[in-house]
Amino acid sequence: MSKSDSKRQAILENAYRLFRAQGFDGTSMADITSQVGGSKATLYSHFPSKEELFVECMMAALENYMSDTLKHLDASRSDPQAALRNFGTSVLNFICSPEQVEVRRLMIAEAARSGTGKLFFDKITALRSHVSSFLAECMASGMLRRDDPDLAADHLGALLEAEILEPLLLHVREAAPDEQETALAARRAVAAFLRPYAPAVPPTKAAAGADAHVRRVHPNER
Amino acid sequence: MKTKTESKRQAIIQAAAEVFREVGFERASMSDIRERIGGSKATLYNYFPSKEKLFFEVMHQAKELELEAITGELDADADDLKRELVHFGQRFMTVLYSAEAIAVRRLAIAESRHSDIGKLSFEQATVPIEKQVAEFLRKAMKRGTIRTADSKIAAIHLLSLLESELLQRVLLGVIDTVKPEALSGAVRRAVDVFLSGYERF
Repeated sequence: MSKSDSKRQAILENAYRLFRAQGFDGTSMADITSQVGGSKATLYSHFPSKEELFVECMMAALENYMSDTLKHLDASRSDPQAALRNFGTSVLNFICSPEQVEVRRLMIAEAARSGTGKLFFDKITALRSHVSSFLAECMASGMLRRDDPDLAADHLGALLEAEILEPLLLHVREAAPDEQETALAARRAVAAFLRPYAPAVPPTKAAAGADAHVRRVHPNER
Repeated sequence: MKTKTESKRQAIIQAAAEVFREVGFERASMSDIRERIGGSKATLYNYFPSKEKLFFEVMHQAKELELEAITGELDADADDLKRELVHFGQRFMTVLYSAEAIAVRRLAIAESRHSDIGKLSFEQATVPIEKQVAEFLRKAMKRGTIRTADSKIAAIHLLSLLESELLQRVLLGVIDTVKPEALSGAVRRAVDVFLSGYERF
């Protein structure tokens, strides 16, 4: 690691700690400089703005988190319901934490002006593709009915976020949900997801819903 | 002082909506807005004392339009529940995914840290729509068309499923405009999944 890289790493580590402790608004570039040492000019040479530094910190956090949370899916392939519940609770605990809500808010705010929203989306997509492969395996082994696993992953993700995320993003509620609340929301979401994706469909209904089984190509992604 | 007129007020709101959409809330200035409509800065401030107030108004009108377009048409007595839900989903998504509505939604999220805008948006748009859909589903449950469950949660699940393919992509700027076929496909798929989860076994 070059001197510049290690400086960058030190900035990221200190900034992440401060952002978590004091929040985005409560942390200034001066606070970060005084923790890391060196001049403010050096800090700005690595990160031109507090927003960019924040985003970088949270992306790194997202990557660390992903490797942890995906273990829930690997753990119990024999019991998809339990795996999805644990995974869902873990996802909700993470995305509803104050700093992750803040980063999402910033990404959305900046989406119209810069490409950072797309970078963030790529990270989300990486996570989603792991979920898709898990669901594809469940479909292959007959634990879920066959359908487009990417679509199923979109549906699962939306159901997980349904109850909690929007009020947090809009500051309608301030307090992050506790483990009990996220577990309950995840349980309801997974139940709502598994019912339609369950394999046992009575033959007449299966025929009526046949068009839903055709693999989808997203018209905006061709 | 000149009397305020509704047409002038509307012209200001229209111009402000354009400016907010083009440069975002933070970078928009009252001068930008004034330039677009002409007249003095004093006149503009006479109508709207601050950029925040003006933004509120822009958003409020957009939300009101949304609500008018979406609500009132859900008929719980309709025979074909699926068709009713697909029609509703189509209207809901068409209104919510217009360039205008997306810009407003982004701003509401972005500004929620500094003002009541987020709360206002939630109370004036999200909650009434959820309530209306929950009421519709409750009636369908009572009639036995779908299985009995918590109608509020069912409504939230339905609305989330409708947005599931597009919300992140659009809010994060991955997709600029939503093609009509993407939208109607997403609605159809969401309603299929919702109904097969709530049908009576």
